[in-house]
Amino acid sequence: MDKSGRSALREIWGNLLAAPGRVYKTAFRSGRPTTDRTRSSFVFGNLFLHLHSVRTHIWSLKWSTTMGLGLISTAAFLITLVTGILLMFYYKPYPDVAYQSMKDIHFVVPTGRFIRNIHRWAANVMVVAVILHMARTFFTASYRKPREFNWLIGWGLLVTTLALSFTGYLLPWDQLAYWAITIGANIAQSPREITDALGITAYFDVGGLQRVILLGSDEVGAEALIRFYLLHVMILPLVLVSLMAVHFWRIRKDGGIARPENVDELIGDKERTSYPVFTDQPEKTYHLAAIVKGKTPAVGNGPENSLPSMPHLFYAELGVLMFTTLICLALALISDAPLKEIANPLVPENPAKAPWYFLGLQEIVSFSAFTGGIGIPALVWLGLGLIPFLDREKEGTGKWLGGPGGWSLFAWSLLVGFGASIGIEAFAIYFGWLREWFPDVPQLAITFINPGTVLTAIYAAYSIYIVRRYDSTRAGAVGLFTCFLCGFIVLTVVGTYFRGPNWEFYWTPSDWPGH
Amino acid sequence: MKKNKYLLLLSSVGVFALLVYAAVSENFLKEWHTIQSQARTTEGPIDVRLRQIVNPSLGTTDRCVTCHLGMSPGETIVSDLRAASAHPPVVHSPAEMGCTTCHGGQGLATERLDAHGDVEFWPEPMLPARFAYASCGTCHVPLEVPNSERFELAGRTFERLDCYSCHRLDGRGGTLRTSPSTGMEGPDLSQTGIRGFDSGWYQGHIAKSEESGSELWAKSFREISEPDQELLNTFLSLQMGAPRLIEAKATYNSVGCAGCHVTGNFGGEIGVDLSRVGEKDPNRLNYSAIEGDHSLSNWVAQHFRLPLSTVEGSQMPDLALSDDQIDLLTFYMLSLRRRSVPDIWLPKDRVRSMRFGVREFSSDPETIYKAVCSACHGANGGGMRYPGLAPYPSITSREFLELASDEFIAATITKGRPGRAMLAWGERENGLTAEEVGALVAYIRALGNGVDFIPDARPRHWAARDPRNGETIYRANCAGCHGALGEGGEGPALKNAAFMDAATDTFLFETIAQGRSGTIMEGFKTPSPVRQALTDSEIESLVTYLRSLSASGKDFGK
Repeated sequence: MDKSGRSALREIWGNLLAAPGRVYKTAFRSGRPTTDRTRSSFVFGNLFLHLHSVRTHIWSLKWSTTMGLGLISTAAFLITLVTGILLMFYYKPYPDVAYQSMKDIHFVVPTGRFIRNIHRWAANVMVVAVILHMARTFFTASYRKPREFNWLIGWGLLVTTLALSFTGYLLPWDQLAYWAITIGANIAQSPREITDALGITAYFDVGGLQRVILLGSDEVGAEALIRFYLLHVMILPLVLVSLMAVHFWRIRKDGGIARPENVDELIGDKERTSYPVFTDQPEKTYHLAAIVKGKTPAVGNGPENSLPSMPHLFYAELGVLMFTTLICLALALISDAPLKEIANPLVPENPAKAPWYFLGLQEIVSFSAFTGGIGIPALVWLGLGLIPFLDREKEGTGKWLGGPGGWSLFAWSLLVGFGASIGIEAFAIYFGWLREWFPDVPQLAITFINPGTVLTAIYAAYSIYIVRRYDSTRAGAVGLFTCFLCGFIVLTVVGTYFRGPNWEFYWTPSDWPGH
Repeated sequence: MKKNKYLLLLSSVGVFALLVYAAVSENFLKEWHTIQSQARTTEGPIDVRLRQIVNPSLGTTDRCVTCHLGMSPGETIVSDLRAASAHPPVVHSPAEMGCTTCHGGQGLATERLDAHGDVEFWPEPMLPARFAYASCGTCHVPLEVPNSERFELAGRTFERLDCYSCHRLDGRGGTLRTSPSTGMEGPDLSQTGIRGFDSGWYQGHIAKSEESGSELWAKSFREISEPDQELLNTFLSLQMGAPRLIEAKATYNSVGCAGCHVTGNFGGEIGVDLSRVGEKDPNRLNYSAIEGDHSLSNWVAQHFRLPLSTVEGSQMPDLALSDDQIDLLTFYMLSLRRRSVPDIWLPKDRVRSMRFGVREFSSDPETIYKAVCSACHGANGGGMRYPGLAPYPSITSREFLELASDEFIAATITKGRPGRAMLAWGERENGLTAEEVGALVAYIRALGNGVDFIPDARPRHWAARDPRNGETIYRANCAGCHGALGEGGEGPALKNAAFMDAATDTFLFETIAQGRSGTIMEGFKTPSPVRQALTDSEIESLVTYLRSLSASGKDFGK
């Protein structure tokens, strides 16, 4: 007994010494990932990594394929997540106190202002990257079968991203935030333009309802702040993460990034020879691809021109993550996030501007609240959602501007898109619109005939013409989408840089009265 | 695909470098770190940490002392640093009140420009040092301040009577004391306006000088005449440790601003309410016509020089103020600020002003005239003509004072002239009382060299000619200025019940006949090359017509 007791103690001692090694082994079951096989099983056996397929197609790794825009969006989200959690330690979501806590974050919290700057820049990078990511997906026709549903998820991610950014806008509780959200709430209230014109607002006030749902009261106040805070730090991030998980999962399920049909020819042997990076000794062939829809691997060319995700895809991912971080840090050091005076409901900002990505809408709202607030956004959201279901063509999938028309159609569409939007804006700024010419014109007429609807009509007419000319839905979609991007850019730029007090046109802010 | 590896490598190196830079700049490059690491007390270096004065009831969190170490409570810095200088002795302890309560600026900030409020989005930059005492106006409101002549006279009297030899006032005087034991030094009088003072001080002094038999008392104290005693009382009641604020307010009370502007509990509503003008956000002002720096003090000063070019459409006349007056008025404007503080922080003067309606200017007729009337009727009552504004009539001319009874002038002051700039000074919040109006009428007569009213034997309403005839004459001669139906134009409205009630027919008749000096109203009895002179009977029918214009031309039965 004495003996065995002693040996048991020895055993415990031995186990204790061996524990660190065993912890490592049980955590990383497949051993050091030194061969493609062990790397594959490492990826496959890891909860977080197994969202990737074990092997990645060379086409997907080319910079020109995706420009890393989806990764940049994800990276920017991770940065806002980390910095946002840090900010939450100090931020207090109550009017006035919120502003004080912003000041504390600026002046007392160690590197607080830097962290806030990063958060703000990452949020903007995310909005831009998400929009560009959508453009990339569109212009490479990657939304096509079998990726239609993932396009819809992406569509939801765009909305969620804008909502996250918008809800975050109010939190500093400064003049900028207060009046931007007031404008945003007024945009939400814009169906009133129609119900007022029809005289049914008293019975059927959708606009007022939307505004109250958004703000939790009639004005931007404590209710709106706590509501926006909850949405910003909890509900919307959860929605976003869930949608992101589905989005990534669908990429895998749909066979990775969309590729042209003749991808093997396009790649040739050149890319293949630049590998391996590490030792590349498959112990046996395995066909994970068997459960993924797609063609059987071409004989003699490795499985589907693919490379082990570890390390090749991971380098790309981490590279983009660090690159995005670098950009956000650099911007954060160069430019401070704005913090104006404390919110004061009695002193309206003039001009009061919504966050920049809504300034295109605000520009149209300045012509007609309904058109800018509901009409055109609804058309855009509906149109974007319908794209993969209207365009059922096959030609050019996975290629930049593949399909009918190609780059020349794109160039023409840029011309029409910029030309029409700049032209309409210039006309409206220079000559005014119906209200200036006929002061008594009914509001309904302006709701239906204003620069926003005219621009939409021109774009629609142009794309119908393109559909007929090329006899292709895809060509029409390229025309319309390009025009939409041009209009978005022009209206946003005008709203951001050329609108001053009372939404008047000014070449520079130094021309504003009082300067 | 090595470029992904390089992207990862270079980005990571870049991120690391930026993070190191951010950490270094956060921990070593901040100005307050530098200042604190140089500072020493007698016991050696101080802790490098954030310092602040917090006063929850005033709502201040002032981190100014993070750099201004010499003003940090309980720390004596011996290093030769600008930031090491201690706060000059003042009435309120900075350790209790914090810094921004008086100086403005951004207490939460820890960087120089932000803290001093010299940034775009801070509405309350620090008051310039020479205007620092304007901040007393945040809580205090000096009451019953006389016009500046009287205030200066009171100050000179205090000096002339050598009160400074025994008393200290704002750090000056009290030098007669020969040795600490003699106890000759009188009490410090710097805050008599706040703390109060013995109203029987003069009798006390007399008694002391008689009974003590001391040589010093005998040498230093003489009898003081009653007017001088009164001046000294006025002077003492104004001492609150902020001499320039009182001087500024006395200036405000001398140039007639209250005739158009409200401050606190009294004033006319023609101009903007100035009660909180010192809180204007300098970032939101229009500087297109302003030379020099974009500060509130500069804007206000320029506005006094050129009101119309500073504020578009301003009705404010150019009062031809001297540079000294402008500086003092600017000081006073900056003092018109408030802060919401709990009641326990409200000083007595503010409470008296808010709750009991005590006015901010003293109630002697001279100060009332200068504070309320002088901007329009002129310092001597001769009337004023400002470009772009209807002329303000003389009220001290012989023909006016002979024609206008005391009752008429008093009624005009009390009830005003509806539709004109003349407001109803007796019928407003904290308005003039009947006694004050009476004294003011006497003061106006004195300004006009004591011209008395020539009583009129006739009843108030005696004119009874054909009003239709009067109407024809009115159309031809009067309608151009007084309006087609007497509604007023460049000249005052004549279809005006208050005026018609107060004016006798004689007053109307004589005014038409003789005109009103200092205004464009000329005497119509005098021939002129551009029109015919009116005869007595024509003027009478005109008066009859004017009576018929006003619906409520009540007869007082006189």
